[in-house]
Amino acid sequence: MLSLLKIEWLKIKKYPAFWWMLGIVLLTYPGINGIFINVYQQFTTRKDAAGSFAKMVLGNPFAFPETWHTVAYFSSFFVLLPAILVIMLITNEYSYRTHRQNIIDGWSRTDFITGKLIDVLIISIVVTIVYIATAIGYGIYADTDNLNRWTEQLHYIPLYFLQTFAQLSIAYLLGYLVKKAFIALGIFLFYYLIVENILVAYLKYKKIPITRFLPFEISDNMLVAPAFAGNFGKDAKSGYEAALALVPQQVALTLVLTALIWFCCYKLHNKRNLS
Amino acid sequence: MEIILSLDEISKSYGPIKALKEVSMQIPRGSVFGILGPNGSGKTTLMSIVLDVLKANSGTYSWFGKGNHPTERKKIGSLLETPNFYHYLSAVDNLNITSAISGRGNPEDINRVLEVVKLTERKNSRFSAYSLGMKQRLAIAAALLGNPQVLLLDEPTNGLDPVGIMEIRDLIKSLAQKGITIIIASHLLDEVEKICTHVAILKKGNLLTSGHVDEVLANEDIVELAAADMEQLKKCIAEMGGYSSIKEEHQRLQVHYPLGTANMEAINSHCFRNGITLQLLFNKKKSLESKFFELTND
Repeated sequence: MLSLLKIEWLKIKKYPAFWWMLGIVLLTYPGINGIFINVYQQFTTRKDAAGSFAKMVLGNPFAFPETWHTVAYFSSFFVLLPAILVIMLITNEYSYRTHRQNIIDGWSRTDFITGKLIDVLIISIVVTIVYIATAIGYGIYADTDNLNRWTEQLHYIPLYFLQTFAQLSIAYLLGYLVKKAFIALGIFLFYYLIVENILVAYLKYKKIPITRFLPFEISDNMLVAPAFAGNFGKDAKSGYEAALALVPQQVALTLVLTALIWFCCYKLHNKRNLS
Repeated sequence: MEIILSLDEISKSYGPIKALKEVSMQIPRGSVFGILGPNGSGKTTLMSIVLDVLKANSGTYSWFGKGNHPTERKKIGSLLETPNFYHYLSAVDNLNITSAISGRGNPEDINRVLEVVKLTERKNSRFSAYSLGMKQRLAIAAALLGNPQVLLLDEPTNGLDPVGIMEIRDLIKSLAQKGITIIIASHLLDEVEKICTHVAILKKGNLLTSGHVDEVLANEDIVELAAADMEQLKKCIAEMGGYSSIKEEHQRLQVHYPLGTANMEAINSHCFRNGITLQLLFNKKKSLESKFFELTND
């Protein structure tokens, strides 16, 4: 296992796209959260009634411990950045034909898939570290009075990690099956950004309650919209609480789906001709 | 004799096309084993199967008598079809990966093999910047890492210039002299003939023949003769008898005898006694090329 990790790191550490992805993630995660904190501050610093109303309704979503939740929610919009990298890492193996060479040199088929699993884990961990750093940064910046509450709601860290890993696993599966980088990226972006969103909107409009079972929605529903969202509208509070109650189910479903994806990859790869 | 690789009735088909039909063979230790055949005869398919890149539809193979476990594959230096490396990595980084996966070689050894294939000066350049010949050299370097006792080379001189071809041929010869088992697929027959101890000939997925070069090539004795008066010579040899056929071409007489029956001394003295002085007399082995065409022509 350790030697597989070492070999995958040899492949990744000099891959320019890895460092580009890391750089962009380092900019976008604090960036998107920065935009929201900016909007929040503009609202709440107003001296009029609207300002104090906003402060009352919103609370401070970036103060500890809410920052764990808020930053996780906003950062998760950008999973497509590491997803592009995951797709590149697997489709590169096909275009360089190193998926054959690794086997010729003495890896088993299982070793190869485990190597890729390690890649997806490495990227998920890196992205989660950026998330943790961003959440801590904004937590300190937003409200120093709440610093002692930093240990509350820490469960958002494993939830964020699991969501990232689950969604990157879907990206991996696409790259693994499609083999061609641009086609896989095209399908991924088209489905992730357009198809599933339209499906969700349509099914909700038709009041067919199955949206939470769609591939990305399964894990999206582990990180429900931040607490302040529950303070808008007359049904919002009950909707928010219902969504929170479903989180354990969504976690279980996510684990099942992700395990199934990797199980299929292992099974298929052990039978496949590597052409 | 120890068997390095044995194949037992390996069959492989791509849809309706049968690429290999129940191929069985054994490759002994220390041999230089040539796998020959026209394009599309199944050479690369055969090598891909024993390296676990393709799955056979039926049949089994075994490395070192221990089956097909990946650990056995690590001991073999292989070059299959095209050089496959990470384009964004240098030669050294690529060989580091090969070394880490196979457990063959170390940093000093990487420098050694790069020196052998004359890539030392460009060892830190990215693979994507290499010419076709340099890529092929790097693939040979990867196969040589850690001095494996078995090499499996599929068209190793592909993409090389004439000097490169000669260098690689000399390299293979010197490795063979050290007792390393070399399994080599090539369509350059004179190349193979110069270095192989054993051959297997494939055609459309069928194994036509396999075994020691001398056994495969020599199924009859061929004696070539020439004299000033060719008509007289022909008559004289015909009188002597014992042959299976006589052909005359390019001012030479080619006489075929059943295997092991040509007696050069007797032929010489018989001609001399009949007043013919020979200008040429030698026992000719059939060339691999003519054997190849004989077997593979429809």
